[in-house]
Amino acid sequence: MNATPERSKGTGPRRTPGTALLLGAYAAAVCVFLFAPIVIATVLSFSSAPQLIFPPPGYGLSWYKEALETRNYISGFWVSTIIATSTALISAVAGTGAAIAINHYRFVGRSAVQVLLMLPVALPGVVIGLNLLFTLPLYGMKTGMVATTFAHSLLGVSYVTYLVLATLANYDLTLEQASLNLGASRIQTFWRITFPLIRPGIGAGAAFAFLISFDNVALSIFTSGNDTLPLRLMQKIRFYPDPSVAAVAAVLVLLSLVVLLLFGKVLQQRDIGQLSE
Amino acid sequence: MTERSPAAAPAPDPDADPAAGQVAGGRGKAAQARRLHPWLWLLPALALLIPFFVMPLGILARNSVYRDDPTALMVPDFTIDNYVRMLTDPYYLDVFTNSLWIAFLVGIIALFVSYPFAYYVVRWARRSRKLLIWAIYMPLIVSVIVRVFGWIVITADSGLINNLLVGVGFIDRPLQILYAVSGMMIGLTHRYLPLMVLPLVNAIAKIDPALLTASAGLGAGRFRTFALVIVPLSLPGIVVGFQLVFAGVLSDYVLPNLMGTTRFRMLAPAIYDEAIGNVSWASAASMAVIMIVIVVAVLLITNLAFRRYAPWARTL
Repeated sequence: MNATPERSKGTGPRRTPGTALLLGAYAAAVCVFLFAPIVIATVLSFSSAPQLIFPPPGYGLSWYKEALETRNYISGFWVSTIIATSTALISAVAGTGAAIAINHYRFVGRSAVQVLLMLPVALPGVVIGLNLLFTLPLYGMKTGMVATTFAHSLLGVSYVTYLVLATLANYDLTLEQASLNLGASRIQTFWRITFPLIRPGIGAGAAFAFLISFDNVALSIFTSGNDTLPLRLMQKIRFYPDPSVAAVAAVLVLLSLVVLLLFGKVLQQRDIGQLSE
Repeated sequence: MTERSPAAAPAPDPDADPAAGQVAGGRGKAAQARRLHPWLWLLPALALLIPFFVMPLGILARNSVYRDDPTALMVPDFTIDNYVRMLTDPYYLDVFTNSLWIAFLVGIIALFVSYPFAYYVVRWARRSRKLLIWAIYMPLIVSVIVRVFGWIVITADSGLINNLLVGVGFIDRPLQILYAVSGMMIGLTHRYLPLMVLPLVNAIAKIDPALLTASAGLGAGRFRTFALVIVPLSLPGIVVGFQLVFAGVLSDYVLPNLMGTTRFRMLAPAIYDEAIGNVSWASAASMAVIMIVIVVAVLLITNLAFRRYAPWARTL
């Protein structure tokens, strides 16, 4: 009824400026709530004081220097990077295969497989971690990077499958058929037709798997040697918190921002497609 | 154009095997091979999930009926003692009731905080919409440790909130927020708020604005339209959001560990302490089984209630 120039679809009854202002102020407050801890942690990393005071009495880069000289952080960063990269690779391969199986074929046990693929993210992380603690000795595996990579990959596969299935939703199967009919082998067809078309989904899934692994605590406490970056940071926060944690935190925020900028498009299309026309 | 193999499950869309046209000539062997194709694609995922997820679930169930031995790790047995202890011993009962209570509370708080926000994002925001959507995704993607650290700075005894309140003169002594239930709940609400907002945004976006116009045209005031049209139609989002937040809070380890207190035990850290600290694998296993049961029960109950009391929402 009062159509606005920006939006052609109606927005329901009576939009008074008072309500708009009130709701707008409320939304702004929620935004502040959502951003506050992230912004404060980042600002604090430039503090010159050894205490966690906000606003900081002075600014400098000393805590970045301190963080770079803290061996636990550096080794934790590398351990987490190795685990997260391997997790992203394993999840991308396994998740893509699973998504193609589910999307392209109808077979006995298909819905069971679908449930199985989503179960690792639905169940509590500590339960999966505990299960692995029980099971690893049976395979002769020790806690450490390999075990943690497999553990994180359980979650990564779910995410990759979900995101690749999303890209496959508007995917034209006749392209593959044409390729096969023209004499290309199945392997050629995959690399020349299927893969290029679903690459955005695989990329976003792998990036997501990387982030999930890099940030994981619930599985790592059971499967790692307590040496991943989040666990190192947790130990530091519990026993002797200082702004060096904030310096590492700021680097992590930057890392997440880069990933969000690179792959945010795919996520938005999926979840709020109907909003961003 | 394709003949469906007799074993294929009935599916709403036609058999989608891209090679089907090719093998139309020879049945027998080719069809047999084709039936294996999905399993070949699934091979890497199953090679990971079966040994590291399916098997361990079985072992968890088995361990939960074993007996903890004070001198050794665990003794094979078949006993329900662990479960009985979980449901009678005050320590374990507290752990379960604490977690259920906090998960419920945070779910409700998140719903009430998110609803007006999601409504604004969908129906009112114009230029700010991009920023608002960023605000929802940012916390989801930034390391939880970073967020907890930020909250520690804000809620500590000499943190932002307490310094402000003492400075203004509202209170003489700092409030205990950090390392208390309240601080933990702030952190939990922050961590899981986006999981409530996103389903709500999706659900509210699906409501046809013409319905609101119709409701107003039929004489309903703004409040009636909201209570009788908007809320019932966004119920799918409310249910999904509540399920996600509830399950998330119930299984959260980081927040209780870094912002909570040992005087108010939560489930996830309690399971960790039981397994690693006390090396009581059998009781840890039974706690985990009960945890799974709770999560599944809440999902089922909310889904059933939703279908029964909001049948209109099923077709949305």
